Amino acid sequence: MISVRNIYKNFGGLEVLKGVSLEIEKGEKVAIIGPSGSGKSTFLRCMNLLEEPTYGEIWLDGRLLTPADPYLHPEVIAASKTYQDMMMKKGEALPDGNAGKESEPDSEIIRKIKKDDLLKKHEGKVYKERLKDIEQENRMDVNLARQRVGMVFQHFNLFNNLTVMQNLTLAPVTLKLQTEEEATEKASELLKRIGLYEKKDEYPSKLSGGQKQRIAIVRSLVMNPEALLFDEPTSALDPEMVGEVLELIRELAEEGMTMVIVTHEMGFAREVATRVLFMDDGLIKEENAPEEFFGKPQHPRLQEFLSKVL
Amino acid sequence: MTVQSIINKWNLFIDAFMNKGGYKEVVSGLVNTLIIALVALVLGIIIGTIIAAIEVSPKKGRFMRVLDRICTVYVAFFRGTPIVVQLLLGYFVILPLIGFSLSSVVVAIIIMGLNSGAYVSEIMRSGILSVDIGQMEAGRAMGLNYGTTMRKIIIPQAVKNILPTLGNELISLVKETSVVSFIGVVDLYKAFRTIGSSNYEYMMPFLVMAVIYIVLIMIITFALKMMERGLRASDKR
Repeated sequence: MISVRNIYKNFGGLEVLKGVSLEIEKGEKVAIIGPSGSGKSTFLRCMNLLEEPTYGEIWLDGRLLTPADPYLHPEVIAASKTYQDMMMKKGEALPDGNAGKESEPDSEIIRKIKKDDLLKKHEGKVYKERLKDIEQENRMDVNLARQRVGMVFQHFNLFNNLTVMQNLTLAPVTLKLQTEEEATEKASELLKRIGLYEKKDEYPSKLSGGQKQRIAIVRSLVMNPEALLFDEPTSALDPEMVGEVLELIRELAEEGMTMVIVTHEMGFAREVATRVLFMDDGLIKEENAPEEFFGKPQHPRLQEFLSKVL
Repeated sequence: MTVQSIINKWNLFIDAFMNKGGYKEVVSGLVNTLIIALVALVLGIIIGTIIAAIEVSPKKGRFMRVLDRICTVYVAFFRGTPIVVQLLLGYFVILPLIGFSLSSVVVAIIIMGLNSGAYVSEIMRSGILSVDIGQMEAGRAMGLNYGTTMRKIIIPQAVKNILPTLGNELISLVKETSVVSFIGVVDLYKAFRTIGSSNYEYMMPFLVMAVIYIVLIMIITFALKMMERGLRASDKR
């Protein structure tokens, strides 16, 4: 459903993600753990393009969300001037040069171009058109994608100027996905489910952290999302409020919601996730089903990490 | 100065004010002052908000960069020249050049509004930056676009944060209107000046003028306080 293809993310000179790929199927619950600064939040935020990856592509249900990345399309690179110049040079070096011939792109040259990132300069019309073709064929508007993939933040981010009910209905009504009545009905239903219906006319500042986070979760549910991204949903909560939020997330998981959770709650990840990833230093270092992941960790960095947090 | 001469001056003022029709001048001057200040503030808030939204937006694409450049020049001009110069330029240079005729009150409103826009844009910008970045992210993450999130989430919170400063802007606009007489608008200052020049007695007219300005500002301050209280409904305080 969500497909992350070899993404890199640089903040100025700092390389936060160094080539991460991930395929998430419908109904999967993926937990991402790792030390702080390992890039796990950035990785999650790339999935709905709150951060734009520097390189790489994000796909949602076969539609491209990011600009097309030439390095993932060798046939596009083959149309670039750099590639053709290098082909030419190679052809000249060989006695019977086959430069200019239509054939499979030369993987060695592609690798070299990629390694030295030689595609920064002007690369000619054909190259640009090929890249544009890919985008035209597959590109999806990021706002449409975000309507289908909800996000829950560490700091809740409820709209402070709106009441609880307005928080829930603003997006579906503004985006004309639901009428005011439909959205209100759906929101009331969800608020009753989490037992906070009587708070519907309160402003967020009057709520506790646990209440805010549960409302933030149902705010994204009003949109009927196909997947939910959780960015450390319990890290900013008082310990006694962690339980109620995890309980709600667990219920959603049991109902079959596709979810990606960045978390420090190891027990929760073990229980709820169908797959656990360990990120460190901008890379996925280990990926496994929860029993093996926590039972027999392979990577030394993960062993060290687990021994510290468990 | 003897008490008697002060009483004489006061009687002369009352005579000019009541019997020679001075009060009509004052009323129309007061109305002009208030209209110019209020409409200019509304204009300034609209212009300032648009400029601020452009300035804080992530600048992607040539179009946004050009807009941003235009805003920079605009703010530089209106903050970099005295408002009297702007009024004179507008009324005696720009209007004749484009061959358009407008009443001096309308010109005053437009120029004061444009001028205020430059200042409000800075106020608004700091207001927008004071709103937590998470609010924008939450809006965007639900599929709302930049403009809608700005309009429905960020700007309402920004305005609440900067309301005291916007109040200051209104107050200084009311006071600054005293320069519009340069292009022939009868405002509060001009009205009292006219009363004074009818009998060459300026002491009382200007004294009364000062009192009226103070009372006016006190009323505005009170109204702003009430408004602020209303907007604090979503606050802890």
